[in-house]
Amino acid sequence: MPSNPPAAETAAPAFWPGFFAALTGRSVGWAIGLAVAVAAVIAPVFLPPWPILLGRTLFIAMVLLLAFTAAGQWRGAPLPRWVVQVLAVALAAPITTLAVYLLSTGGDWQALFGNEARVTGLLMVGGAALVLGLVLALGALYRERDGQANAQALQFALERETLQRQTADAQLAVLQSQVEPHFLFNTLANVQALVESGSPRAAPVLGSLIAYLRAAMPQLHQGAPTLGQEEALVRSYLELMQMRMPDRLGYTVDIEASLRSLRLPPMTLLTLVENAVRHGIDPSEAGGRIAVGARRDVATGGVLLWVADSGRGLDEARPSGTGLANLRERLAAAFGAGATLNLQALSPHGVRAEILLPADAR
Amino acid sequence: MHPPTALIADDEPLLRERLAAHLARLWPELQVVAQARNGREAVELFEDLAPQVVFLDVHMPGLSGIDAARGMVARAQIVFVTAYEQYAVKAFEQGAIDYLVKPFDEPRLAETVQRLKQRLQQQPAAAAPDSTVQAVLDRLAGELRERGGTRRWLQWIKASVGTTVRLIPVEQVVFLRSDEKYTLVAWDGGEALIRKTIRELADELDPERFAQIHRAVIVNLARIAHVSRGVNETADVHLSGRNEVLPVSRSYLHLFRQM
Repeated sequence: MPSNPPAAETAAPAFWPGFFAALTGRSVGWAIGLAVAVAAVIAPVFLPPWPILLGRTLFIAMVLLLAFTAAGQWRGAPLPRWVVQVLAVALAAPITTLAVYLLSTGGDWQALFGNEARVTGLLMVGGAALVLGLVLALGALYRERDGQANAQALQFALERETLQRQTADAQLAVLQSQVEPHFLFNTLANVQALVESGSPRAAPVLGSLIAYLRAAMPQLHQGAPTLGQEEALVRSYLELMQMRMPDRLGYTVDIEASLRSLRLPPMTLLTLVENAVRHGIDPSEAGGRIAVGARRDVATGGVLLWVADSGRGLDEARPSGTGLANLRERLAAAFGAGATLNLQALSPHGVRAEILLPADAR
Repeated sequence: MHPPTALIADDEPLLRERLAAHLARLWPELQVVAQARNGREAVELFEDLAPQVVFLDVHMPGLSGIDAARGMVARAQIVFVTAYEQYAVKAFEQGAIDYLVKPFDEPRLAETVQRLKQRLQQQPAAAAPDSTVQAVLDRLAGELRERGGTRRWLQWIKASVGTTVRLIPVEQVVFLRSDEKYTLVAWDGGEALIRKTIRELADELDPERFAQIHRAVIVNLARIAHVSRGVNETADVHLSGRNEVLPVSRSYLHLFRQM
């Protein structure tokens, strides 16, 4: 298509920046060190003086390093980059060694191959360059791969941590929506009134508020509270609400003692009790009573939890809200499909919420 | 000159007492002639006693403080008392209606007392029948009522099951089918009969979530698995997780075109 200009040229990566970035001080150091070591090892058996030998090995090492680094910029098909790099070293080692020896004889092939000592030296130096060069190249490639794996592991750890933080944030959001500012400030206003009037009830009521807030907090950390903990939370909440509307709210809490160790999703009972206050008692001028209870159901062997209020009753157009739907989901997640949550209208007015947990609930 | 009179309305008795105690200290001449426990009582006591100042809690059972104030603004100084109702506080600031945010401290109440004294001196008998104040109250009352959602679609279905009346959230309802003089409700927890007719239910249920697909059938759109075309301009609705197949009559077939 004439409208599609070739994109390959503009997309080709620049050679020199990548080349110099890859040519690190560390790789140069390794090349020099090995060149010195090889020169030192072969010096006793070679005729030329040690500085000349060192010069040769250094030169070969540098050429191999440059070949390896230059080949590292390979981005094409069909060979992968690491194959090209190893091939570059394997080819550069004998060629460079030969070039060095040709230089020492002034380009005289005859003088080089006619002398048995020179040929031995050429083979030894060339062989060492080849072997050590390849070992070093493979080592560098291995390190690079290792580094990538490390980077990837770090990336995974980072993602996991982000995920955990998001989960914690979500839990915090649940908690924050649970302790409503309206509830907190109204309750504090009542506590303030008690404190100012020097009422002896101030201390126990403040105690209830602290217990309520504390019971709400640790659920960030421990997954499932016990029914006993949930009962304490509900009692604190009801005590506070009764202080606020003493003429409108009465309550009973009746939990079978053997069930107090039962584990539940956080806020199971509190969600139902708060609903009873918010939609049953609070909107009603006359108020009402709230009965909270739990017992083992003889017929099914399951556990029956209930929150009943004699408040205003349910408005059929009242949004069912996220609280009950969430609770239903949390119960299903904890106990499977065997757990049910049902609401029924009470006569003459009021609502009873019932949770039935399966017999294997512990 | 008669001492100024006041009415305090709050459903929480400790807060009524606290306000009365602070007023007694800051404004000893003020007579708190009555305390009301809800909006309806506040209106009744206001009509009986005609106080010059009314402290009204916004959030009260039955009639809200906002609604109670609507008949009072022309005849008394109103001070709203509220806990963290930010939307309301904003409206009060714009509407020049005095307000206290619970829990308030004495210096803040002293400012309000100062303002009330000034206004009572300027207009000893009545406050300005300010139309903007009335407009703010109208808007607030509307907001309070609408906070549950704009159009009030049916959210719960009351169904008799044995001797109890079940409250079924509509999202758990799969379908509703007319059954002689009753309507059958099929929901996640079973089936029940209710007295409401399909026609009434079709009016009351949110059309975004429920559709009438037959003269006698309403289905929860979220529970439809697929719709199969039949011969002769008919179709069947298949439900997720259930065996029943519901008929779609010709006049409702347009619902599933382009689906």
